[in-house]
Amino acid sequence: MIQTATPAAVPPAAPPAPDARHSPALKRAQRDRRRALLLLSPGVLWMLLFMVLPLLMVVYVSFWTQTTFAVSPDLTTASWEQFLGSSTYLSSIWTTLRIWVVVLATTLLIGYPVALFIGLMVRSKTLQTALLVLCVIPFWTSFLIRVIAWRPMLGTEGAINTILMNLGLIDAPLTFLLFSEFSVVVGMTQIYCVFMVGPITFMLARIDPSILEAARDLGAGFGRIFWKIILPLSLPGVVVGAVFVSVMVLGEFATAASLSGRKVNLLGNIIVSQVGSLKWAFAAVAGVVLTVIISFIIGVLLRFVDLRKEV
Amino acid sequence: MLVLKQVSKSYGATAALHGLDFIVPQDRYVSLLGASGSGKTTLLRLIAGFEEPDAGRILLDDARLDGMPTHERDIGFVFQNFALFPHLSVAENVAFGLKYRANDRVTDAEEIRARSNDMLDLVGLKGLGGRAVGAISGGQKQRVALARTLVCEPRVVLLDEPLGALDANLRERMCDELRQIRARLGVTFLHVTGSETEALKMGDEVAVLSGGRISHSATPSELFTQPANAETARHLNAYNTFVGQISNGMLKTPEGLLGLPHSSNLAEGTTAEMSVRFDRIAVLAPESATDGRMGLPARFITSEFNGSTRLCFFRALDGELIQVLDHLSAPRLPDLDEGSAYELRFDPEDAILHPQRAA
Repeated sequence: MIQTATPAAVPPAAPPAPDARHSPALKRAQRDRRRALLLLSPGVLWMLLFMVLPLLMVVYVSFWTQTTFAVSPDLTTASWEQFLGSSTYLSSIWTTLRIWVVVLATTLLIGYPVALFIGLMVRSKTLQTALLVLCVIPFWTSFLIRVIAWRPMLGTEGAINTILMNLGLIDAPLTFLLFSEFSVVVGMTQIYCVFMVGPITFMLARIDPSILEAARDLGAGFGRIFWKIILPLSLPGVVVGAVFVSVMVLGEFATAASLSGRKVNLLGNIIVSQVGSLKWAFAAVAGVVLTVIISFIIGVLLRFVDLRKEV
Repeated sequence: MLVLKQVSKSYGATAALHGLDFIVPQDRYVSLLGASGSGKTTLLRLIAGFEEPDAGRILLDDARLDGMPTHERDIGFVFQNFALFPHLSVAENVAFGLKYRANDRVTDAEEIRARSNDMLDLVGLKGLGGRAVGAISGGQKQRVALARTLVCEPRVVLLDEPLGALDANLRERMCDELRQIRARLGVTFLHVTGSETEALKMGDEVAVLSGGRISHSATPSELFTQPANAETARHLNAYNTFVGQISNGMLKTPEGLLGLPHSSNLAEGTTAEMSVRFDRIAVLAPESATDGRMGLPARFITSEFNGSTRLCFFRALDGELIQVLDHLSAPRLPDLDEGSAYELRFDPEDAILHPQRAA
């Protein structure tokens, strides 16, 4: 019965025309492309709305006309002229860059040995993770408290001065410890060091231990192995850590505000105080300058490694 | 000459090596055969100095090696996974030892270049020095690893399953080349492998590592035809072993009664192990085994065709597996039916009898 129901003779289908537009491979590629775009769109939308658009807005506002209590959208370069003509503001660029270089150096100098220990000396993955979590524990307290906690440490009657005086190492309290560039550097180093430790640790942990054994077997001592094998192989981690630290330090204002006693003016502090006094156009100028500096520095840092190769 | 005396090494409660004695003679290709987990790699790591023995001594030309830092030992190690430096080119990998070693560093760039190039030529990588190590094939990586080690002129070269990561074709070629390269340089190679064919083919001398000790060390042909004990025989993957008691001039085993070779002088009641080569066992159909001579009853399970040979599997009365090898150039086995019973026979003079070693 069933057999009779099936069509007895199907006329042979004409061979499909060799039309590239309808090839299954091409259709599939189109489908994949559509899906990729669909997956990409929320991110792109987000970045457009909350980054590109505001950024363009900031550039635009920086050319607005600023009066004492108001800002009007009449285009002028007055704010730019004021910024670039003022030694206070220009010197704040130098302060920002100086603090950035020093903090980058201290986080690297302190962070690298820590990463070396966690990533290379500790062989148990569980212990590695546990140690990294330990590094993150300070983040459980709020940023401001961590910064302000340095005051009772570094002040003239703070812990460090008291200890040094009791030990008889100094007669009078060291005054440079607090409300100085020194205290800003200390505060920032403490907060941002972990961002250096993390990426370097991950790179070091990925080094195949037999590579280091091979180097030892070929007769190299630890120093040579470090400079010729370990450091080059961890360089992508150093660069990623440096990018993290740079972005955060260059845009910093809170540490400087609470630990420098207003002696250290970073670009971030200028933006905050200008916004506070409703000088939007001027704040926008400082914001554009800061963005350009950060972009340039990140661009230079990424020159050192090809991160795409490291995935 | 590399000498290991009573070397022991444990990891927690597991003893990897247990009072191991081993002599690696000068200017030889020595292969070390051991099952996985037998402590082969541990042994090499102790010699290279990546780890230290818990007890015992390691001597190279009468100077004590153990306790000496790895980079001062002058021992070459070729890693199973090659362990090439991923950020350096082929030439830089090879030059690494000469350039950066702590002792006897070569500072003349021209000399480093010349010696690295010579070594690359020797291992057949002429002109590939500029390549990145990620851009060469597995076989070439193996050669780079070898060149990198050999250019430092170590006193002993340790090879940890050097052919394990290569495909079969390449493995054959590397076997010949490794032997040639070694002969040209006149340096001692200690080659660790889990493959009995590789061990027998490569070694001027073959040692078997079993139970944390060297169970037998001899020339390949002696080791293969006269294994010193049943453990050694088991590693060769060419012997059936039967365990039983000597009783009335026979070996009484769970599989059946076995005749003893004339040379046997084991006392009545001794527990002994008998090893019989796969290709020394004859198979008789029950109807043709009527002459009253002794044989082992066994059931044919299946066979494995290997081109020039056929390996047949039988199950003895007690469930023990017995393997019989037929060389297909001169086949001697009858037609076999799966599941049918047969009688297995061998000349007692072909059997090797060992008293069982105390565990």
